Amino acid sequence: MDTGGASGTLDRLRDVLRESAVEDHDWDAVVAETPIESLGFDSLTILDVLYDVEEEFGIALDPKQVVKTRTVGEIVALLQQNGA
Amino acid sequence: MRGNAVRTRRGFPARVLHLLEYWAARLTLFGVDLLPPAAASRWAAALGSLWWAADRPRRRVAISNILRAGVAGDRREARAIGRAAARHMGTVLVESMKSALLLDDPERLRVDVPGDVQAVLDDPERGLIVVSGHFGNWEVAGQWLSRYKPVAGISRPMNNPRVQELALARRPRREFRTIPKYDPDPGRFLRLLGDGEILALLVDQHARQGIDVAFFGHPAKTHTTAAMLHLVARTPLTFAVCRRTADWTFELTLSPLIERPRSGDRNADVEAILRTLNDRLEAAIRRDPDQYLWGHRRWR
Repeated sequence: MDTGGASGTLDRLRDVLRESAVEDHDWDAVVAETPIESLGFDSLTILDVLYDVEEEFGIALDPKQVVKTRTVGEIVALLQQNGA
Repeated sequence: MRGNAVRTRRGFPARVLHLLEYWAARLTLFGVDLLPPAAASRWAAALGSLWWAADRPRRRVAISNILRAGVAGDRREARAIGRAAARHMGTVLVESMKSALLLDDPERLRVDVPGDVQAVLDDPERGLIVVSGHFGNWEVAGQWLSRYKPVAGISRPMNNPRVQELALARRPRREFRTIPKYDPDPGRFLRLLGDGEILALLVDQHARQGIDVAFFGHPAKTHTTAAMLHLVARTPLTFAVCRRTADWTFELTLSPLIERPRSGDRNADVEAILRTLNDRLEAAIRRDPDQYLWGHRRWR
């Protein structure tokens, strides 16, 4: 497993979350094991974040795959599967 | 505990007001059940007139909105439009509850669906976002669409839970269900669109967290959900207008798919889509201003 790549992707993801999320959150404390539900998104704010994530990484995510993810690490893995 | 009772703006204890409203609704339903459709409509329209006469604050909002929108030349004409719209809303309730009379009768409900929208409706794998406003009979539109796919309509719960329960129990809904506007589950819209369902939204209510988009030439806070879902889930988007053409007769028109390629500028993309949606609603209202729900504080 390319842990360096995963770590780099997680760093970039954290930056996007910091920029686009409305809620205050300790983004530096977000790790691969962090549950997505703990990040405070609702069905509206998640859309803003997904748009910005796709723009940052230059990819298109399948929403069906996105809703199956449970942790930040699973999002990172999904981004990498899509070429991030 | 009496001193802590929730009170309405007019000082009534909310519990008492809700009980009065509930019995008024029961009385309306009694009339609706007892009478043939045409007479039931007249009964409901008369109750709409009564509401127009009795609810002064809402009447003032409606007249102010009509004048601001520029669809009336003067205050007198604005009052006439507002009164006609109140009667219209009364009949909307009756038609929604007795929609079985309309839904399968092509003489009563003429439908115009463009080819690109029909292709989405016919494909069980593809979701669809259908946007409308509080114009014509939006309920009938949602119920008709549910012949193709399950429809989830986003709605704010009524202020009166007793009336809400009564209304939900009485409407023939086929595969039409309402879902709350706010919910902690972040994936719920993406999930239902991914399952090939229809998400129906009304975009003409004041949206505290929305963005300013022109509506009749004036900035109005507008919900971004429909636009963002189109951009993120890449789900097709259409605008629906279900206008009354005669008693118990409607014309349901769906727009060709509204498409906006992503530019990378989220706000610009959202605003462009919402402008298109507001323009379509505005055009429908200009044609039939007496079929619009004017009593909502759209511009704040």
